[in-house]
Amino acid sequence: MAAPRAAAAAASAKQVTRQNFAEAVRELRAHLQACDYVAVAVQKTGAPTGWRRALPVDTAETAYLKAKHAAESFQPLQIAVCPFRLRNSSTSTLVAYPYNFHLFPRDELQLGMPTYSFSCQSSYLSTMANDGFDFNICIYDGISYLSRVQESLARKKIFNPCLRQLLPSSNTSVADSVFMSRIKSRIVHWRKGYADPSKKYDDCLVGSLSRLILGGELYGSRPSMSIDVCSDRQVQLVLEAVNHISDDLVSLIVPDKAGAARAVRVIFTSSKEDKNLLLMDIQKLEDEQNFKFRGFREVIDLLSFSQKPIISYNCLNDLTMMHTKFIAPLPPNMHEFMCSLKMVFSNVVDISHMWRQIGPLRKAKNIQAALSYLQKQYFVPMEIELPQQDGTSSVIKNEQNVLRITKLFAKLSYLLKIGPECQLQSGEQFTAVEEYCNIFYPSCMVEESDGVDFAIESDTKKSVSTDNIVFLWGFREKSVNELKSYLIGLHQAFSHDFEVKLLDMTCSALIFRNSDTAMQLLKEISSEDPSLNSFFSEGLKGAGFEVYRKVCRLGLWDSDLAKAFDDVSSELGASTLSECRNSQIYWNSSLMLDLKEYLEC
Amino acid sequence: MQGRLRRLLRAPPPRNLLCRVLSSSPTGCDGGGGGGGSGVAVKQVTRGNLAEALEELRVRVREAAFVGLDLEMSGVTSAPWRDTFELDRADVRYLKLRDSAERFAALQLGVCPFRWDPAKSAFVAHPHNFFIFPRKELTSDGSSHEFLCQTTSIDFLAKYQFDFNTCFCEGISYLSRAQEEEALQKLNLLHQGRTAASSTTSEKDVDMPLNSAADILFTKRMKMNFKEWRDVVVSKPMADSNLSGNIKCTLGQFQTVFFKMRPAIMLNGFSSHQLKLIQQVLRKNFRDLVYVCTFGEDDTSEKRVVYSDTDEDKILLMKDVQEDLLKNREARVKSAIGIRHVIDLLSLEKKLIVGHSCFLDIAQLYSKFVGPLPSSIKEFALSIHKIFPHIADTRHLMSANQVVQKLMMKKSKSLSSAFSLLCPLSAEKPSGLVPVRIEVEGDETMSSCFISGAKHEAGYDAYMTGCVFAQLCTYLDIKFEQLSSQDNLASNTKLQRHINSLSPSWNSGTVLDLSTGMERPDPGYMRRYPLAVHDNIVLIWGFLSKVKPKEIKDCICKVFGPGSVTSIFAIDSTAALVQFKKQESVNDFLDLKAVLERTDSAISIVHPLSTILEGGQTRAAKYETYRDICSSSESKYLFADQAEAVCTNSKNQLQENINDDPVSGVRQSILDGVGLTSVNKGDGTKSGSKNQDDADVTCQDILAILHDSRALSGRRV
Repeated sequence: MAAPRAAAAAASAKQVTRQNFAEAVRELRAHLQACDYVAVAVQKTGAPTGWRRALPVDTAETAYLKAKHAAESFQPLQIAVCPFRLRNSSTSTLVAYPYNFHLFPRDELQLGMPTYSFSCQSSYLSTMANDGFDFNICIYDGISYLSRVQESLARKKIFNPCLRQLLPSSNTSVADSVFMSRIKSRIVHWRKGYADPSKKYDDCLVGSLSRLILGGELYGSRPSMSIDVCSDRQVQLVLEAVNHISDDLVSLIVPDKAGAARAVRVIFTSSKEDKNLLLMDIQKLEDEQNFKFRGFREVIDLLSFSQKPIISYNCLNDLTMMHTKFIAPLPPNMHEFMCSLKMVFSNVVDISHMWRQIGPLRKAKNIQAALSYLQKQYFVPMEIELPQQDGTSSVIKNEQNVLRITKLFAKLSYLLKIGPECQLQSGEQFTAVEEYCNIFYPSCMVEESDGVDFAIESDTKKSVSTDNIVFLWGFREKSVNELKSYLIGLHQAFSHDFEVKLLDMTCSALIFRNSDTAMQLLKEISSEDPSLNSFFSEGLKGAGFEVYRKVCRLGLWDSDLAKAFDDVSSELGASTLSECRNSQIYWNSSLMLDLKEYLEC
Repeated sequence: MQGRLRRLLRAPPPRNLLCRVLSSSPTGCDGGGGGGGSGVAVKQVTRGNLAEALEELRVRVREAAFVGLDLEMSGVTSAPWRDTFELDRADVRYLKLRDSAERFAALQLGVCPFRWDPAKSAFVAHPHNFFIFPRKELTSDGSSHEFLCQTTSIDFLAKYQFDFNTCFCEGISYLSRAQEEEALQKLNLLHQGRTAASSTTSEKDVDMPLNSAADILFTKRMKMNFKEWRDVVVSKPMADSNLSGNIKCTLGQFQTVFFKMRPAIMLNGFSSHQLKLIQQVLRKNFRDLVYVCTFGEDDTSEKRVVYSDTDEDKILLMKDVQEDLLKNREARVKSAIGIRHVIDLLSLEKKLIVGHSCFLDIAQLYSKFVGPLPSSIKEFALSIHKIFPHIADTRHLMSANQVVQKLMMKKSKSLSSAFSLLCPLSAEKPSGLVPVRIEVEGDETMSSCFISGAKHEAGYDAYMTGCVFAQLCTYLDIKFEQLSSQDNLASNTKLQRHINSLSPSWNSGTVLDLSTGMERPDPGYMRRYPLAVHDNIVLIWGFLSKVKPKEIKDCICKVFGPGSVTSIFAIDSTAALVQFKKQESVNDFLDLKAVLERTDSAISIVHPLSTILEGGQTRAAKYETYRDICSSSESKYLFADQAEAVCTNSKNQLQENINDDPVSGVRQSILDGVGLTSVNKGDGTKSGSKNQDDADVTCQDILAILHDSRALSGRRV
């Protein structure tokens, strides 16, 4: 069992910057085709802290809003993509091709895109720095990108000369044919100057003079001439005319600022080879331009196109980030997000949802914990192949993550009998991976420690209605126990059974066993019932879940939770406090968001 | 372990370091004025050599005549509309600058003391480049330590080979004065609370249920082990324990060490859960064993079980431990001050600080090293004046002298352009004036922390600023020859007039006097726009992106008459400021807009303003709202989005809603006045739409009505 570990430690992904991007994309395309799954891991400039993290009191909706905020403010610096192939026979074989893409949102087109600014979290950055993250490579040579929406915006602003296919000619009017013959004669006359070998000008003065007279100019080193056009119809006619004249002419459509064709540029090539060369040059130019328009997003498009299941950890955060950076701005609610995401990636597997299917693993806090537990408790014979070695021995954190996801998925799918093939030799049924798709766990904890600490995550998976929760603030820094004993003396409601969870330094959630108690308490708080005098005189304040939802929806992320509550509840007033409280279920301790619930389809 | 290994394996010297060393062509650093971008040895200071560098810098600053200062930041504006505009009111401009200073991080601080050497009759400069990184040093500190990066700024720094790895790995962190105070206060509170708690009983008596077999077995084993160890300790009291503090005797499982002259066991390698169980065992079974947690040198916690025979001794021990803890924590707060020592040092020496276009730099320094920026520019000026009593801005100085103005005419006023113009190589002499000689003194030992300076590195920029300043002084007819070696240039009478005057931004057209906090117009500034009258300004946002500012102006002029709009300024593609000639036009415009939006009739469709109102998202407000929007902590890329976010969040409603009463009055009278016979007078919209065909109203009519209704509603109130 030690062998794969060692292999993984020595393994290294292909490091991709803007220098070797084109080549890497070519390879990735091939690997994607040959693989069954793709593991993805994102290294960001920060993660939400304090109450901005997904908390046990969050509903799917508020968890999404938090993930949305994080996705919009932070920036991905590396995205590791690892297509892998898995064969489960007696021993499973894992063949993986990890790539690590370095990103930086450079404004390649000078349009203020992809992002004007982004947030960094200093503790996050310094941990990355200590882990050997090379920021210089990232910032100097990272690949930029535009999201699909940004690309279409940019395409409306920047236009480049391009080739256009000649459409089959429709019926031409008299005016058309007059126009065409006029153009034709102009081009023929101009072309004669170059094509006729007897008239080769050796003298450069004569050459430039003839250019002046004939209305020609240069395209690179080749002679060319511009024909002004004022409609698409005319473009078509010019193209047709050129087509009739000779094979050695190449025409480029030159757009104006608004993108409409302004002119057709006819370029003369001296031979068949020269023409191919020119076409290749034009293609190269177009590729460069496309790189500016798409950049790294080409990889996302490849992943999307391949339709392979995406395996990821911390899915809600990573995929909201990928959505906002590479697809489109995030929609205001979870449902729309899911619909939109499904159009791009139809199958996304949250690895932590998978390991929660194996009873004892339910408590695992992070990938390392899950992996080491599997290592100890289960025998999973596995061969790991990483055919793509490029010699460097240092392992970067992010690719380590993606390899861990890959390995863990391989082991879990062996244990859970998931596979691309439908039948085992023994006749046992494989479950389809789709069973596990699109169920996300918002991770409550940032993956800070690499420790394999299993420890205290309570096993009880109970659902509580949002009606049972009362948010409480205005206490001065107290621990949970202090707060609990302090509350009991203040009001009879607190003599009932309730749990206390600190959400940040300033605010806590009280979870009552009985929703009536909570409702009653909230009612009394909003009506400033005299029985709560001592509660108020201590400076305490309380509110129901609706206010919390409003805090999240308004995005008051900048302040601590108490201040946000103060701002919102004073505005809401007592009247709106109790209305529209539809009870929603949330998950205590292990949150699960079944995204299928968000899709009727 | 692995981490350390990886750290060692990490890419050796960053590429740019090499680059810079290589590019430092031997132009000679003592040629009067220095070369054009390299050859100047700049001392690089990171976490590793801060203490030593500080000592040296203290001496250098004490000797200095003035100190050049520069800052590199992670960005300047958090959104395009947060740029400072010429027509910004002073308070709005300050809000924008404050937003910038608070959001972005300072990444490099350049400090360059210039000492006058009478013997050489030259200045001797010591450029220092400090890497800064806002690392979270104190766990107690609740702030999130997030900062913003502006993509273009970071890209710009990368273009000049800024070493981000050094910055993020080795950058020096800091606590502002306010943060330090808060941390110390918290500490004291904590300490008081602790000592009070420990004197009564142990802090937490909550029992942990032992719900797994493993826990029960572990607890039992520990109990036995402790008992065994305790019995040994008790049975042979080590009389000479004081002397043999370092003797370690292994007893069963545990190694006995000594802690504060008492026998103790180190608890290593237990999980946090196990440690909790151990504490519980001790609490329940051993009165004379105390669980003690202390912090070692590198922040690692050390847990011990200490034997203390009597209750008094136990209390004594706990008190001792608590005090150690307090001292340790205080020391950590002190060490967390980090780079702020440099600022404290400069402030203490009261030397003349010289920056180039340095208002934002100073605001950054204040926000990072002093405390949250005050709410008004006046307060800011006065409190910065207390910290740095003498600040000179070379950009301001350049406009103070006619000769220099002529020299700089039509040239960029950037630092590097001023430097190359005023501080040429010794061969040339600009306009007959003898340039001041400036030498750069490297370290005698020439250690590796010196690298050749380059443009847009804070240390080198600080040096360039100082050089430009020295040359400017000669134009102001300041004779350095009379300067003795430790004189502060700030006391020079010829300079007095020019110091402590900063321009808040390059396009403000004003100068802020730091000693009084008053802002006055800068006579040398060439305005691009007519002087703004902020009471006459209307802010419009949310119109369709195809609508250009010119069109807005045109269609307002159609309604209010040609010449009614003095200027229009586009904030970004979604918002514009329109300045009217007359102040009453502001209210007229807002009222008219409200009316048009509420009456769903032909008037609003054919009305000239419909170009602006198209889309239904267009909003308008007075200039005050613009200020409120700028003061918000929200940060959206487009102004319209920002405005919407601020308006939905803020309690104070917008102009439109405040004016609710007159508007309904207007609507009423529009219907009456136009002579529409409405069946249902109360329902304005309905009757309006019924009579679409009659709605042949001119703008003059509407305006007249507006005025009438205004008077009417006034009378009503």
